[in-house]
Amino acid sequence: MPYYEKSEDWLQQSALLLQARPSTTRITTRYHLKLARRRTKAEKTVAPDTTTITPLEPTTQATKPPRGHLVLKTYDPASGTALKYKTSKAAEVGRLVQMLGTLGRRMAALPEVAVVPVVEDAGEGGSGVQTPVPAEGPPGGGQAGGKGKKRKGKR
Amino acid sequence: MGVLTHDVFFAKLTELFIGRRAKDHGAISLTQKRYTHGQALPPPSPENPFPELHLDSPVPLLIRATNGKGGEKKAKKVKLSTLVEPADLEAFYSRYAEVCKTGMAALKPRDRTKRKAKAKKKKVGGIAQVV
Repeated sequence: MPYYEKSEDWLQQSALLLQARPSTTRITTRYHLKLARRRTKAEKTVAPDTTTITPLEPTTQATKPPRGHLVLKTYDPASGTALKYKTSKAAEVGRLVQMLGTLGRRMAALPEVAVVPVVEDAGEGGSGVQTPVPAEGPPGGGQAGGKGKKRKGKR
Repeated sequence: MGVLTHDVFFAKLTELFIGRRAKDHGAISLTQKRYTHGQALPPPSPENPFPELHLDSPVPLLIRATNGKGGEKKAKKVKLSTLVEPADLEAFYSRYAEVCKTGMAALKPRDRTKRKAKAKKKKVGGIAQVV
């Protein structure tokens, strides 16, 4: 159950999984909040043996608002393959939903339209502008699904 | 709850995101998958071992959203679902992106203060050394 470092890798592997098993694979996007608890050095060293430090915790929690996280998961129950990507950056949301859209096209068995997302890592966040670019390779729809599935299962 | 129209779905999804803000924790799950209910595929044969890979026509997508309440809190569970026809995919996803972007407000915003903070630190450090 790997977490991919880059969303592009996740997209590519998810696309392969969908190509192999288009009708059982599902993509779940989970947005959740956790209390931000940054432990200070003093807390770390003292915490194991005493509980005197506990009054500090509420204050640190109160000062920092909880941080949101976003986990994308492509899961195929038939083969048990799960591919994940995790982020906490708001700037990525637009791009990720766009990826969900491209994968959605595959799910719907629509012919592939190569929509290359504009690179917006360093640029302005979240303005999901798309530029349609003609497809590079053949739309690999007609292949047997076995190979891609097995390879991914090991990772 | 049955399948909603897009307008209702987005309205309720926005509500779901806003409702989550009342607390400092919680989760919202969004799922998408192919809608296969009630579709009769031909049984696999040697010539066509994977009938699901060669569909005659595009199929709709099923989009689900939930706030993940279960067990004791099941009464508070919110489940939304909608169907997206292949023709509406692009329009749906552009709206979906907008709702998600505004809804997921607790994610880390782009950090514009880093440089400022650094400069400040340097200044403070300098003063401390002088004193």
